[in-house]
Order: sequence, then C-alpha cells, then structure tokens
Amino acid sequence: MRSFRTFRQGGIRVEASIEWEPSGPVKNAFLPNGAIILLKQHSGRPARCVVKRGEYVCEGMVIGRGEGPLSANIHASVPGVVRDIRLASLPEGGQAEAVVIALEGSFERLGRRPERYLWKSMGRNELLSTLRDRGVVDTVAPGNPLFDLLGERRDIGLLVVNAVECEPYLRAESCLLRDKGPEVMEGLAIVQKILSPKRTVLATSASDGEDLPSLAASHEDGAEVEIARLEPRSPQDLPNQLLEALTGSRRRPEGGMVIIRPTSLFAAFEAIVLAKPMMERFVSVCGGALKRPAVLKARIGTPIGDLIEECGGFLGPPARLVLDGALRGYSVHDLDAPITKTTAAVMALSSEEIGPRLRSPCIRCGRCAEVCPERLKPELLYRHIKRGSIDVAAELGLGECTACGSCGYICPSRLPLVSAFSCAASKSRSALASTRDGSGWR
Amino acid sequence: MRRANSLPMSDAPFVFAKRTSASLMWSTAAALLPALAWGIYCFGLASALPVAASIAGALAGETLASGIRRRFTLWDGSAALTGLLVGMAMPPGISPLIPAASSFFATSVVKGAFGGLGSNWMNPALAGIAFALVDWPAQMGAWTVPGRLTGLAALSGATPLAFARTHAAASSATGGVGILAAGGASFSSLDASVTDALNKGLFSRAGAVLPGGYIDLLLGNKSGAIGEVSAILILAASIVIISRKMIRWQVPAWIVGTFSLLTWTFGGLRLGEGLFAGDVLFALLTGSILIVAFFMATDPVTSPSSSLGIALYGIGTGLLIFLLRNFGSSAEGSAFAVILMNCAVPAIDRLGSRVSARRLEAPAAAEGGRDAAR
Repeated sequence: MRSFRTFRQGGIRVEASIEWEPSGPVKNAFLPNGAIILLKQHSGRPARCVVKRGEYVCEGMVIGRGEGPLSANIHASVPGVVRDIRLASLPEGGQAEAVVIALEGSFERLGRRPERYLWKSMGRNELLSTLRDRGVVDTVAPGNPLFDLLGERRDIGLLVVNAVECEPYLRAESCLLRDKGPEVMEGLAIVQKILSPKRTVLATSASDGEDLPSLAASHEDGAEVEIARLEPRSPQDLPNQLLEALTGSRRRPEGGMVIIRPTSLFAAFEAIVLAKPMMERFVSVCGGALKRPAVLKARIGTPIGDLIEECGGFLGPPARLVLDGALRGYSVHDLDAPITKTTAAVMALSSEEIGPRLRSPCIRCGRCAEVCPERLKPELLYRHIKRGSIDVAAELGLGECTACGSCGYICPSRLPLVSAFSCAASKSRSALASTRDGSGWR
Repeated sequence: MRRANSLPMSDAPFVFAKRTSASLMWSTAAALLPALAWGIYCFGLASALPVAASIAGALAGETLASGIRRRFTLWDGSAALTGLLVGMAMPPGISPLIPAASSFFATSVVKGAFGGLGSNWMNPALAGIAFALVDWPAQMGAWTVPGRLTGLAALSGATPLAFARTHAAASSATGGVGILAAGGASFSSLDASVTDALNKGLFSRAGAVLPGGYIDLLLGNKSGAIGEVSAILILAASIVIISRKMIRWQVPAWIVGTFSLLTWTFGGLRLGEGLFAGDVLFALLTGSILIVAFFMATDPVTSPSSSLGIALYGIGTGLLIFLLRNFGSSAEGSAFAVILMNCAVPAIDRLGSRVSARRLEAPAAAEGGRDAAR
C-alpha cells in the first residue's frame, strides 16, 4: 500500500459507524422561508445592523456593516422583509444580534447568466477591498475575514489549500473540489496574486481526489500547485499537523504560512469573478439519525431544520444535533440554529453513534498522552485542573492544547477532557490579561 | 417533521472510541479464564470454590465501599477482576473464607477507602494476596498436588519453586529441575515424550539437551495456585491483552527482562550452577512471576505513565522479585515486590514528568512562538 504523508506524534483514526459517499453533483438547498442571519459570523466584533424592522431587503444587500479589524460585512442571503431583529445564541456560546428575513419578492441573481469579471487587471489592494466589501471570511471557525487573513502578508513562504477532512461524514470540501474544481482553482489564483507565495500545496485526504493532478495542471492562471495526499488521521487539518506533514518540521516557513479552505477560495472566486457577496456555503448534512445524508449548497441563515427536512428528516430521534464536526464541533438544542459562514456540517447523531456516556474515574491508562499530537499529558492536566490549580496546568502546557478532541475521543473513562481544557485555558488567559499584558495571545 | 422541543447538549467530542474502562476490566478478566479453567480441571471442581468465594468477597467489599460513597460501581468490572486475581492466587485446598476475607479487604479498604477505582495507590488484588499471605501463612503454604496428570506427587505439597529452594543446599544435584528430580519427582509421560521429541528434532542440531521436567512446568502439571499453574495459558492470555493494547507491554518486558538477567547472572549461585549459568526458564515457569508481571504490575492505576517511569518501575520490580525470591523468607516474593514498587510510583511519576517536560522545552523554544503556524 502507498504510504501517505502525515504528522509525527499522536492522532487518532475515527471510524464512522456509517460509510457514506455523497453521490451526484451538489444540489442547491431550498431557499429558507425565514432566514436567520447572525451578525457575528467572523472572529471580530459583531457587524452593526444597518436595516430596520419591516424594511425590504434585496438579495445580496448589506444588512450588517463590519466594524473594525476582523469584523466582516453581512449580506442578506435572500430577498424579503426584515421580520425581526433579535438576540440569538451563537453555536460556540454567547449571543449576538440576528436579522430574520421572511422570503419575499424577486431574485436578481437567480436564473441569470452570470457575467464574469476580468479580475487580472485588478491590483492587490483592489482585490482585498473587494473581498472585504463582499464579506468574504475564512470558512473555518473562528472565521477570520480574508481581508485580514491575507492583507497583512506578502511574499509568504507557504500557501496551503486545506482540503483535508479527517473526521467522519465531513465531505463539503471534497465535494466542492469535485464539482467546482476550476472555480476553486481560479479562487486560488486570486489568493496567489494577493500573497505571491513561494510554494503552494493542495493538501487532501488520502481517500479522495483522484482527478486532482489534472486539476492542478489545468491551473494556468497562477503559480504551480503541488498536490499532497495526507493520511486521513485526525487532527491532520490543524496548522501544526499540516505543517509537520508537508515540511517535516514545525518550523514556520520563511515569510510565514497561510492555510485556507477550498470553500473560502470558492467564496473568493464568487466575490471577485461573479461579484457576489458571501451568502452561500457548502454544508455536509449528515449523521446516523438522518434519512438521506447529502452535501448541500445552502444560503447563510438557513435554519438547520430546513436542511434536515430536505434530507428526508430523521430516521429516529437524534441524540445530538451537532454543528461543524463530531470531534471539534458544537451541539445545538434546536432546529432553528442557522447556517453561518463557518458551518461546515450539520450532524444529527444517533444514540448508537455517541454511545453511552458512562463517565467513570480515570484509570491512568495513558492513552490520552499517546494520542495527543501536542505531546501533552491530558490526564495530568485534567487532574490539576480538577484540583483547581490551573496555573500548574498552564505550566505543563495547557496553552498548547488545540482542542483537537483526540484525548476526549480515546478516553475509556469518557472524561470531559477537552471541555475542561478549553474552559481552564480561557480562565488562565483572562487571568493573564488582568495581571499582565495578555496581548501575546492570538 | 420538525420537532419543536430541545435536545440535550454536551461538549465536543461527540463520538468516542469503543473501548471503555469497564470493557477493559471485563475483557482482562475474560482473558484469564482459560488459565483458571485449567486449574479447576487439574485440582478438581472443589477448587472453584475459593475463586467463587474470592469474587463474592470482592463484590461485597465494592458494594460496601460504593454504598458509602453512594455510587454504584459494580458494573465497571474492576472489583470482579480483583476478586478473580486474588482467587487465582490461592492454593487449591484453602478454606473459602480466606480468599473471601482477602478480597473483601482488597476492595473495601485498599481500594474503597482511598476513593475507589483510579484513586488507590496500591494494586488491590496484590494487597489482597499479601493480606492472605501475612494472616494465614500456614494455609497459604499448603499446596495440593494436581490429582489428574501428575508425577510431581513426591514433592510433599511444596511448589516446585519452594522445593528447589529448600532442598538446594542438601541436594547434590544442580539446577531447579535437577533438584526436583533428585528429590524424587517423576515427571509425566507427556513431559517425557515432548521433551524427547524436542531433543531429537530441534535441540540435537544445536548440540543441546533439554532435561525432563520443563514441559510439565510450562503446561501446568505441577502444584501451585489455582489459576497460576499453567504458565503457557497465562502467556497466551498476556499475548491477547498485549496485542489488543490493553496493557503497556513495556511493564512486563522490563520486569521479566531484569529478572531474567539477574537470574541468569546470579541465580545459579544458589541452586549450585555457578555464575552466569542461572536457570532462567525454571525461574520464569515457577512461582507467580508471569501473572504478576503481566496482569498485576500492569494495572494502569498503580503504575507510572511516562516511559522513563515505566522502565524504572519495571527494573525495580524485577530486581525486588529476584531478591525476595532468593533471599526472602518465602519462595514467593512477586506480590510483595510489586506492592513495594507501587509505593514508589508517585515519586517515579514526578521524576518522569519532570524529565519529559524538559525535553518538551527544547523544540518549543526553537519554534519561536506558539502560533507559529497561524
């Protein structure tokens, strides 16, 4: 068997209880009757609402204006009337304002033959400001706007297109590459023009992307693209692990490195070439409790219940509704949670999949340390955190934890390791910020 | 079909590896059953009684301890495993009250009093065995000889290990098996034919001769504890748990390695074989070293976690087993050796984590900043 490149330390291979390959081209999801558009779908401050209740909005109109760094514009994903502006809970915790739009009126884009904008004459700054105007953000949490992600750097050492999906059921990136390869490549050319990287690598999981070499070869607009097939081992898609797999070490390449998802490239393509703001995304709608799992192209703000209904509804009562991923995602409690720019997946997991949550005491089996890709000792950290000595845990490397979920997955005692670490890390960060200048952190 | 109610929420991850702590305990216990079955076959159905009593005692102790803490923990299998291990270490003819009391002590005091599974600092099964050895030395030393296959009847109720030790000075023969033979043991016909076949087919080419007796020791046709007589079945069980990654193989590797090296180097002095001529095979096939090294010393709760710690722990245990066996008051020292090393685990762990922390610092410093890759 061919061996695939991967990272060195730890990691897990998550077996899906149901094998699922999306068949046929990705369909557009039905338009939602009521779109719930969060005004915070990016890493910075929430966008400022610029519409009023009862106002008519067209498709693609700005409804939230980005404020300050790392904040992005939010656009109406459907035409209609603003029914409500209210607080809604964010999947990752906390609340933000959301604009509820009732579908109504005519479409300006749908059904029209798109005009292609010739972007090659555009300069770097022009490209960046267009990306900012159209609200394009990186499609992985926390959703850094591309303007901020790409704008600060130039002549970087390594640009990685991260199409690696090492969790069960996640298929949005590979489906996008399969269906919209040329568009993604054009998006890549735009990003290459902005960053002028020395080396560009398209990283995919070993299991998918047979026709990628020809795709890369057809990429005449930009610089050369290498294809790297990586082992589908979690957390292969995190920065440290990608770097280790691609370069053999964790040393940051000269000039820096930028990692970007194909879905982000596609959004950049649409924003620049089709002059379309970011108002759709590819979503895996999946999980064992779902009748017909599929990858759908859904409007931002579509309630997850609509997508689940479109996939045939539930087979049985779902045990958990999960956004983003089974290892690193968030659970939500109802079907009204909306799709955001960073929602990679909607999962309805059955009780067999999540298994019994039999928490038992730690038996110090040491498996968590074996699978930790950051060479930490989760068992030890957990013991210190439980004892209340977060500072000791911080000394032992708590800050290096990337919340990849490996230890939590493997733990035979089902201890809540990951949530304990994230909770303690945020506590120790805020303690740090109050005593010293905590600006060194991200 | 939209459901308007709210679903339970939890934190990531939402999927888990199949193995749980309970399944780990139950399958370890299952791996030991063939060895136990062999013991019951050899010593008769009555020898099942002490084992059953031991398990009952362990479960009772666990129920009491978990009842006080108001948490039901019988399902996790750890108490049943403790009971099984204690029962398997008992001499066949022993009164069932002794294993019952020992296991009760193990799960209620040694484990329960310290907070239950995961919080005990001493392996409960070993503590139970030690409890029995200390409180009932006579009964724990009264060995019956297997009623079925056997020719080792002449050993007058001692285990081969104890017999070799006590008769070493008086006997003119050398080596463990030699002393057994000189002491009047006759090995089974199975032993004779297998040894003969091996000698003719295999060892003659290397110019070596395997003396009679080892096959009986390996298969378990000898006097000994109910579940520990068959070395080959214990080894088979350990292969199962190692291949399924249920234990850290480094622990028994260090123990058996250290012990074998010491036995080969110095062990011969006592049995009249001289320096660098100790009988490793005899030493490993007799006594309880195999089950202790593979099933008790490997208890994750009471063994170190770093690889350096495991090495120290294993070497220490191997050394102590060797010393206690050769210079201790009884022939069997494995249980006490591991208990002694259990006491040292917190210190070993602290040392291990300090060393590995230092190793971690070096590459992190070279990276220059933790968000290098962002």
